Amino acid sequence: MTGAADMPLVFTLAFRNLFHDRLRFIATLIGIVFSIVLVMVQMGLYLGFGHMVTTMIDHASADLWIMPKGTKCFEDPSLLNMRDRYRALSTNGVAEAIPLVIGFADWRMASGEMTPVFVIGSDLRAGGLEPWNVVEGRVEALSGPKAVAVDRSYFNRLGVSGIGSSAEIRQQPVRVAAVTRDIRSFTTTPFVFVDIDRARAYTGVPSNKASYLLVRLNAEARPDQERRELASNIPDVEVLTPAEFRERSRRFWLFGTGAGAALFAGALLGVIVGTVIVAQTLYSSTKEHLNEFATLRAMGSSRRYIYKVIVCQALLSAVIGFSVAALLGDVIVRLTERTALPILITPALLVALFLLTVVMCVGSSIAAIIQVTRIDPAVAFTR
Amino acid sequence: MSEPLLEAVDVAKDLGSGAAKVAALKGVSLSLRGGELTLLMGPSGSGKTTLLSVLGCMLTPNGGTVRIRGQSTAGLDAEEMTRLRRRHVGFVFQSFHLFPTLSAAENVRLALDVRGSPARAARKKSAEALARVGLAHKTSTFPRELSGGEQQRVAIARAIVASPSVILADEPTAALDGDNGRAIMKILAEIAREPERAVLIVTHDPRLLPFAGRIIHIEDGRITGEERGNIHTTEG
Repeated sequence: MTGAADMPLVFTLAFRNLFHDRLRFIATLIGIVFSIVLVMVQMGLYLGFGHMVTTMIDHASADLWIMPKGTKCFEDPSLLNMRDRYRALSTNGVAEAIPLVIGFADWRMASGEMTPVFVIGSDLRAGGLEPWNVVEGRVEALSGPKAVAVDRSYFNRLGVSGIGSSAEIRQQPVRVAAVTRDIRSFTTTPFVFVDIDRARAYTGVPSNKASYLLVRLNAEARPDQERRELASNIPDVEVLTPAEFRERSRRFWLFGTGAGAALFAGALLGVIVGTVIVAQTLYSSTKEHLNEFATLRAMGSSRRYIYKVIVCQALLSAVIGFSVAALLGDVIVRLTERTALPILITPALLVALFLLTVVMCVGSSIAAIIQVTRIDPAVAFTR
Repeated sequence: MSEPLLEAVDVAKDLGSGAAKVAALKGVSLSLRGGELTLLMGPSGSGKTTLLSVLGCMLTPNGGTVRIRGQSTAGLDAEEMTRLRRRHVGFVFQSFHLFPTLSAAENVRLALDVRGSPARAARKKSAEALARVGLAHKTSTFPRELSGGEQQRVAIARAIVASPSVILADEPTAALDGDNGRAIMKILAEIAREPERAVLIVTHDPRLLPFAGRIIHIEDGRITGEERGNIHTTEG
């Protein structure tokens, strides 16, 4: 304990007061860690969810997305007329307008069991939205008859074991021709990648319809201008940049469904619980050391000096509590890495959580500070 | 005769309010001069501690004036009183009031730290103060490892380290046995010999009389008598 000779005395006093009652310190740490881990998980889920709902948009090769007016998210079942494709292609600056067909379908396993799947079909020659992270087989194999690509993580759900496995979609035979890794859906419904023509057959989308048109612009095109032209040339559609579509999908899933509000409510609960626990323990610690603070006042210490001791205690609790919470967070991230909804903790989230911990702990010290403000130094004579 | 370091003129102080209001001090006047150890003696409830609190700028009197080094406490707010106390007054308490989580040297250094002294100078001064009370070998020792007498010596080192003009001690030997009490009084009497420092000790222990240069008697909130002491600093 004397090894801290060069520490400022305020810090030494705060540090030792904090560690003096180990049981209370552990209770404080549990409060902070519980609170921050809860907020971390909620916000990590929020970020992970936000990331998952835009996976397909992130991996599509498009400068602009054309979609039916009012489309809320990537999974929206609204359809475009294929005539719109020719209108798009006739717009200056547009190099390609690749149709994309999506939709839910029933997958029947060899055993006869059924499970829903989400079919994604694009023109494989144009490469609008192809499967990525292919670990077995090749994307090109999808142009063969009955060929589909599925993710390894869904083998059990789909009743398949790898390349060559068979099943049926909408009573039509399919065969696994490519296997991907880590293309998971937050809805837990497996994605199945196929060629666009078969996607129509599996989802019932007519040949004169498509879900989206993925627009690629010429190198010299001006995106803003082409976008305006596309919107004015094609009736009843919206033209969005990938960033806008991502934002719209995210907003729909996170706020339109209430999922985001639930996650934020959980995070808020964490902050409240943490604040109450830290405030309670800091308050009782201050109360226990009230004699010492009265002595400090009697010795001529300013109130500010005493506030520094209390705030130092709060900051120390914050740093130690956050460090433990961050380690736990790392374990949780690793544990959820391969689940349908991985928790995503970004450096920005970590910084924000650290600031939140500091604000929460320092804010919690207000009750203790108010108590100290009322100290009468003369009590040092009577206790 | 030198100017008083601390002076109280006709000080009155009421404690409590309403029906519970008590006139704890009723027109007390006294002065403390440098180089003198004064005992303030009186029975329990006579107003000794209240007077000590008023003289130490912890309580504001309802009437009268307190001046420390010529500066009046009249009209000062709590923080200004604290500044005055910080600059001129050192305290020794009956139950020591050492910080259990700090070593002896750190306890002493705290008195300088609250005054904003640079750490290096504070370390040197606190070591010197501990040496002065005979605890040079206990700088790293924590209060729980010290005897009662040693703890009170640390408290005295803490009171003197910032060289205050006035040391106010509240029953400094009450928690100690006879030998330790005498040792503490010898230290306080030694400190009181400095011409720029006055020591006022509140006590009802007659064994301290031999150390006093002056004895003031208080009863029912009034000074009832004052006598010159007969100092035997070599006693014990």
